[in-house]
Amino acid sequence: MLIDCPHCGPRDLAEFSYQGDATRTRPDPASTDTKAWLDYVYNRPNPAGLHREYWQHAGGCRAHLVVERDTLTHEIRSVAFARSADSGDAA
Amino acid sequence: MVERASPLGGGFRPGSHGDFADGNGVTISEVLKGSIVEANAWPGKEKALAESISATCRLTLPALPGNGAASREGTCAFNIGPGRFLVSGMDEALAGDIIAAIGDETGTVTDLSHGRTVLSIEGPRVEWVLAKLFALDFSLTAFPVHAGRATAHHDVFVQIQRRGEKRFEFYVFRSFARAFAKTLCRAAEDVGYTIR
Amino acid sequence: MSPRRTRTGGLIDRARTIRFTFDGESYTGHAGDTLASALLANGVSLAGRSFKYHRPRGVFSAGIDEPNVLVTLLREGVREPNIPATQIEIYDGLRAESQNRFPSLAWDLGAVNQLGGRLIGAGFYYKTFMGPVIGPLKGTRFWMMCEHFIRCAAGLGRADYEADPSRYERVNAFCDVLVVGGGIAGLMAAEAAAKAGKRVILAEQEPQTGGFARWSDETLDGKPAHQWVAELTERLTRFDTVRLLPRTAVWGYYDGNTLAALERVHDHVARTPKGHARQRHWTIRARDVVLATGALERPIVFPGNDRPGVMLAGATRRYATEFGVLPGNRTIFFTNNDSAYEAAVAIKRAGGHIAAIVDVRPRIGDAATALATEAGVVPLTGRAVAGTKGSRALSGALVQAFDAETGRLSGEARPLECDSLAVSGGWQPVLHLASQAGAKPVWDEDKQAFLPPEPAQRWTGAGAFLGKFSSADALASGRDAGLKCAGKRPSRARLPEIAPEALNPAPAPVLEIRGRGKAFVDFQHDVTADDVRLAHREGFVSVEHLKRYTTLGMATDQGKTSNVPGLAIMAAARGITIPEAGTTRFRPPYSPVAIGALAAERYGDLKPERFTPMHDWHVEHGAEMTPAGLWHRPLVYASAGETVEQAYIREAAAVRRSVGIVDVSTLGKIAVKGPDAATFLDRVYTNTFSTLKVGKARYGLMLREDGIAFDDGTTWRLGETDFLMTTTTANAGAVMQHLEYCLDVLWPDLRVHLTSVTDQWAGAAIAGPQARAVLERCVTGTKVDNETLPFMGIVHGQIDGALVMICRLSFSGERAYEVYCGAGHGQHVWEALMEAGEPFDITPYGMEALGALRIEKGHVTGAEIDGRTTARDLYLDWMLSKKKPFIGSGLMDRPALIDRNRLRLVGIVSLDGQKLGGGAHLVERGSSDEPGESIGHVTAYCYSPALQKYIGLALVRGGKARHGTRVLLSDPLRRRFGQVEVVSHHFFDPDGERMHG
Ligand SMILES: [Zn+2]
Repeated sequence: MLIDCPHCGPRDLAEFSYQGDATRTRPDPASTDTKAWLDYVYNRPNPAGLHREYWQHAGGCRAHLVVERDTLTHEIRSVAFARSADSGDAA
Repeated sequence: MVERASPLGGGFRPGSHGDFADGNGVTISEVLKGSIVEANAWPGKEKALAESISATCRLTLPALPGNGAASREGTCAFNIGPGRFLVSGMDEALAGDIIAAIGDETGTVTDLSHGRTVLSIEGPRVEWVLAKLFALDFSLTAFPVHAGRATAHHDVFVQIQRRGEKRFEFYVFRSFARAFAKTLCRAAEDVGYTIR
Repeated sequence: MSPRRTRTGGLIDRARTIRFTFDGESYTGHAGDTLASALLANGVSLAGRSFKYHRPRGVFSAGIDEPNVLVTLLREGVREPNIPATQIEIYDGLRAESQNRFPSLAWDLGAVNQLGGRLIGAGFYYKTFMGPVIGPLKGTRFWMMCEHFIRCAAGLGRADYEADPSRYERVNAFCDVLVVGGGIAGLMAAEAAAKAGKRVILAEQEPQTGGFARWSDETLDGKPAHQWVAELTERLTRFDTVRLLPRTAVWGYYDGNTLAALERVHDHVARTPKGHARQRHWTIRARDVVLATGALERPIVFPGNDRPGVMLAGATRRYATEFGVLPGNRTIFFTNNDSAYEAAVAIKRAGGHIAAIVDVRPRIGDAATALATEAGVVPLTGRAVAGTKGSRALSGALVQAFDAETGRLSGEARPLECDSLAVSGGWQPVLHLASQAGAKPVWDEDKQAFLPPEPAQRWTGAGAFLGKFSSADALASGRDAGLKCAGKRPSRARLPEIAPEALNPAPAPVLEIRGRGKAFVDFQHDVTADDVRLAHREGFVSVEHLKRYTTLGMATDQGKTSNVPGLAIMAAARGITIPEAGTTRFRPPYSPVAIGALAAERYGDLKPERFTPMHDWHVEHGAEMTPAGLWHRPLVYASAGETVEQAYIREAAAVRRSVGIVDVSTLGKIAVKGPDAATFLDRVYTNTFSTLKVGKARYGLMLREDGIAFDDGTTWRLGETDFLMTTTTANAGAVMQHLEYCLDVLWPDLRVHLTSVTDQWAGAAIAGPQARAVLERCVTGTKVDNETLPFMGIVHGQIDGALVMICRLSFSGERAYEVYCGAGHGQHVWEALMEAGEPFDITPYGMEALGALRIEKGHVTGAEIDGRTTARDLYLDWMLSKKKPFIGSGLMDRPALIDRNRLRLVGIVSLDGQKLGGGAHLVERGSSDEPGESIGHVTAYCYSPALQKYIGLALVRGGKARHGTRVLLSDPLRRRFGQVEVVSHHFFDPDGERMHG
């Protein structure tokens, strides 16, 4: 499998490390809402189909990416820098 | 000044090794750079950083992914990540010059002069040998002269700059250098290699 | 002269004789022979025994599809089992052995399995060896007892117990077009793409390109086909943008047009040259792929179809035409299609005798009739082979009237004498790679074959792969495929003229003749037609279940000859069509791959390793090195005659008494820089760093988001916006990744840069009452007295000309300093420290002494921060800031994490003077045989030179509340059971007077 890193171009999967679900939302740091924290840390939708995930190009430019991937076909729809992506965690 | 010890050890012996049926495939050597720094720009300051490096090192460094440059004196710089550049030269004072030249509002500079070991590999079979270690396209069109790439060989993180059509320089973490050099030499055995 | 070798013809080099042995017997062959062709030329028909029933088997095919004759090669000191004889190029001195026979191929004791054949049907092992429900052999224990005997009798070749000394390598390749298959279609595609300026790789699994053209006896523009392809191949080698890979099987098609291939680089010569790889694993990333993988012939399933002498018709043609080898003296052809007639003519031309052509079809066309005439026989149409005769070799076939409509045999079975039976059940395109690439094959009723689906990745088919079986189609579709990959339209330019004209190979839909006796579908796994029907009766009707229940198609040949007949039989049993029954998805590898080729340089002495700047000094000074992750670290510096325990006790005692020195270069070090660096550290550490003064260090603790402790270390403030963070050796990479995640994902607005500087600095810790005195003797440019360098202070200076940074930290509990310098100066500074320490008898110490010193102090490491413990469990609550949120603060107060009965850190002291053991459990009651419930476990232990006792750290339910109580240590693995006392984990100098002094 190849991931098309927006900085480095297409690179082998072995250079990347999975960094989890990119749809989760981190509660306000001072939040005492345990349920919100539990959702953030543990609860995952695990969809059959399109999924947004964080991958770090650990064996390359080190950037974290948001990868839209189809969990059924492995097809990668889009790759963007996590820094600029409009993702849950970035909030 | 105290001389810097090489991390490569006794196993990295000058001389000819491997199968020389078709001559010397590649030449491998350690490049003793006086200065190596990583310069890192704040978002939006990539160009300013590249310009500061260019001015200090007397070269033209484009602030683009994968780009690089080298001066006549052998000072080199190349991009290794978003806003990040590796700059090196033979002069030990260069690290200090770059640190001084790049202001806090542009980015940060970290001295890696001891932390990275530079290996050079050159020769007619260089692309063949490197294809055994890295999942990178080493053809000249995909990887032009002066361009840089950050990649990994298993657990060994490597930054590569193409210095000539048949010549590459590798920046590896110093602690990995001995094992990496061994792997590099092993990969070159079938084409014959010379350690210089 | 070999008995079955023709006088002339073939592409072998008759001038070169090659000597080899098979089962110790000497034979000769010619350059260009495979082991299979050479054995056949020598009249060796019995060449293997089958997997389950030990039935005699002979060569069945001429290529990669060979299910029967798998041999073990003895080469360069290794036994390599299960290599198809059809894939082995012979060389002088080749040694091969047959498999799965005892004591010899001809007299095999295991053949008694045939007598019980009816018992060893599908699912035999599942059903028989489940074992009784009760008793000493209940369940799987019964299987475990029987397994030993079964393993001896069943199976394929035996692997070696020795390590494989072969050299393998991995290569990455990039190209515009990868052409898989070097037949006419593949060669045409490669040339078209190369001419358009594309970078091309062409992989051919055989030693030579050409495929079918090597034995088709066709001409292209009047030239023999094999010569035509040789010329085209030569033209391709002149492009410097084309790489030809012979002996290379593309075995995997992965996501992103990434393909895996295995090149058998030196398997065809007696010895791999030094420095070269025997086999090479290619990972090829291709923008476009041309699949020109050809087609494989299918057998017809009939009783006795596995007798040595039964062979695929196309294989007999190849042996006769390419290798100059006749399959026998009297050959009968049995077919459902026209292609066997061409094979019969080839045998006839090579000088063989055709005894009959048996055809299941009631009528045949003019072209086939003409060929039959040329072969010298009148075809027996509307008939089938219903059985075979002979034991270790074929002696005859039983021919009976057959109705292709109903599939029924009728009338008398007529015996016909023959020693060779050539079978054709039609042709199946090789779709494995297309299927791996993610699409389902489509059944074609006319061609009675699965055809390639619409591509799910960027590939284009060509030639017989598309179900176009003529050479003319191969030329045209190959060229078009190459042009398509180059972004061009199909060409109308003239193509070579091919003679003779091709036949229509569409077969009659007959793949099984049902009669009396075992009829094999999967030769390699001994799966019969009745096994398939048994699976149906027992409800394993889906093709995926059929496969797993009967193991049909799961042998090393991946069902190349058995897949379609197996499906046809299951479909018939279910009363549905083949497409309704469906097909299994092919999975990599297409052909077997040695594990060594996949591991390549990741194995043995090329594993990545890390060495500290002082590594060579340690080794020269007698250190016993131990792996710590990828690092090598000194365990102890034992002097002559000293045990490890004696050595570390001596080293640790020296630290407490005078001074010691230890290499701490492996600690993770991260430069954290930028205007928001302090803010950032406040968020990732549980305690506060923004209040830290420049020139001072602070101990910090990080949690994970779930509130569990993650890592600890000291962070030094070198400047207002410049911090140096240290991490544990083991977690250096994980901490870096965690911090990068925080900056990229959680707080992209923070202006902080991170750089790994682990390798920039060499570190030496000097510890002991005399540590300061040592520094005073060698450090210049700064004072190191208590005022200038108090606890947690940092100074900059020089040691023997090298710049150093010294931080007063203590892991040992002694007055201690960490001296950092540029890694390239590491050994220089270390030696200067050793020299300065000489008057104090400075003692280098290793990991064992380091461990003992920290246990005495109750400092935690990865053994206690084990991914389950919280800060409170480790009595580090004082580090949890109440003034700010930090990573982990959201969940660290969950009820279960603050429960009083959690496993918490304590010290333990051995009460019987015996050693403790890491991982041993602690119990409150019981005996060594029946210990009570575990209340915790030992995380670390040592002999404490300070206390002169065996002590340890443990995580125990309730923690501190148990101080002063006695519990039992249960360590069945080390046969140890004894009493310990639970105490505070601060064994030694609990108030820290020594390190602050
Ligand atoms: Zn990247």
